[in-house]
Amino acid sequence: MTVKIKILSSIFLFFAAALLLISAAKKGYAPTPLSFKIPAGFPTPAINIFTNNKLTVEGFALGKKMFYDARLSKDGEVSCASCHQQFASFATYDHDLSHGVNNSFSNRNAPALVNLAWMKEWHWDGGINHLEMQPLAPLSAANEMGEKLDTVLLKLKGDTAYARMYKAAFGDARITTERMLKAFAQFTGSLVSDNSKYDKVKRGEAGFILPEQKGYEIFKVNCNGCHKEPLFTDNSFRNNGITLNRFADVGRQAITQNKKDSLKFKVPTLRNVALTLPYMHDGRMNNLDNVISHYTRLDTTLTNLDPLLRKKIVLTDKEKKQLVLFLYTLTDTSFTKNKRFAP
Amino acid sequence: MNKVIIILFCCLAANCCTAQKKQESVAVTFEFVCKGDSNVLNKSLKTSFGESYTITKLKYYISHVKFVSNLKERKDTAVYLIDASKTNRINVSLPDENTSGFSFLLGIDSSLNCSGAQSGSLDPLNDMFWTWNNGYIVFKLEGTSASSTADMQRIEHHIGGYKGDNKTMREVFLPINNKLLLNKKRLTIQLDIDKYWQHTNNILIRENPLITGPGPAARNAADHAAASFSIKEAKYIDRKN
Repeated sequence: MTVKIKILSSIFLFFAAALLLISAAKKGYAPTPLSFKIPAGFPTPAINIFTNNKLTVEGFALGKKMFYDARLSKDGEVSCASCHQQFASFATYDHDLSHGVNNSFSNRNAPALVNLAWMKEWHWDGGINHLEMQPLAPLSAANEMGEKLDTVLLKLKGDTAYARMYKAAFGDARITTERMLKAFAQFTGSLVSDNSKYDKVKRGEAGFILPEQKGYEIFKVNCNGCHKEPLFTDNSFRNNGITLNRFADVGRQAITQNKKDSLKFKVPTLRNVALTLPYMHDGRMNNLDNVISHYTRLDTTLTNLDPLLRKKIVLTDKEKKQLVLFLYTLTDTSFTKNKRFAP
Repeated sequence: MNKVIIILFCCLAANCCTAQKKQESVAVTFEFVCKGDSNVLNKSLKTSFGESYTITKLKYYISHVKFVSNLKERKDTAVYLIDASKTNRINVSLPDENTSGFSFLLGIDSSLNCSGAQSGSLDPLNDMFWTWNNGYIVFKLEGTSASSTADMQRIEHHIGGYKGDNKTMREVFLPINNKLLLNKKRLTIQLDIDKYWQHTNNILIRENPLITGPGPAARNAADHAAASFSIKEAKYIDRKN
């Protein structure tokens, strides 16, 4: 009896070992986990975008390679990075509208890609409901990268470097929509800016000079309601009194079909705002002075105007300059020059 | 020690036995018809309002597919894309011969619309995902009609919406009164596209050639689509009766 048990148990052990070996061989890879650190003072993101998309060194590297790969566009000329330039905090520097394939223009100003992991909806109108799904919009839009999804996948499959990188990130070389989108999100979700002068002041590592401090006080009274610290946005959609543009872009209303959402747009973060000119969803304002003047001159009786803007903002020229000096302290060159995010 | 092993084996054996009492399954085929005629693609059709049209693409999502029973139903969480250009057959377990009917959700759960990148039937490659206003299209009908006022006389009904009032997923329940239908473990569900145009609020192609986003028109179209399903009465049943 005991012999039988021994035989049985050894058979069992043999099969168990074989199973383990097979599963190990099937996996055959061990991507290096990458931790996503929430900076001190930052809130915990409402949704952890990396719960079902484990952040790894290999996945991040793959996402970055695709982000900088212009071949993914229809004419091979436009990459994600064409309109999302690192030195401009991943916005398009000094362009009101972005350039797409075949000399086309998009209808919107490319937003900075900063602290995307804290958002719940993406794009100026919030039409994107998950960070992983965002790349499908610019990849396929005729006035952006203009390429069909199946062709994008074919292009990736045609490059053995990608086969290696997909294998390293996901265990085998299969290139699928899901994997591509998850890798993109590993890169874009990792774009965290938390080391501006403002952050250093908050951490006690630096001090504001007097005009910056005065500007900060003005900011807290007049701007912080929407551009909420420390993300410098509350990620809401608001009507800030700008007029309908030549594209009849109603913003949020196009997504919700609700007239109350007419001309509401996402409150953009002000982090690195000195680098993300021009401003507003269509880049209609060239500099920060224009933006601040827009708010001080605003007709507070406009219909549909955001309730927070009903109160007149009054600033002297000196105060406006102080406010701009404070906004300059939100520039984070350790982000815009971070080699981790560079091609 | 010996006893423990014997007990373990007994448990295993018991498990095997229960597993062998597998519920029977029914092969359910999804067909597309127009006024009873099968095959609807690339054919000249006419609505009851006299509008001629041709369908080039017709597909829809279903999920929570099951036979309704008092017994414990096996939950099927799978999402199926039913496409008029393909053969659509799925196996559905039959918990109880006395089932009252067949049911499914036309569409998918709200949560699946905002869960990020997915594969299989929910792969955006299936061209059923809106990239500019994220969410899955529940029901897609494309074609042309002389009545269409849209560019190239096209019909484009991309019916979707998963939030608040604009939800377009619909419960469909098809009663099975003739239990003989299940004898051959086969069942055919038909979508009669003719019924899609006329229901509570008739859809006229000249008024609604394009429905391409969430809203009242999409909600109405979803109601119509859900009311277009029926169970095909098989001929061999007729003979027996």
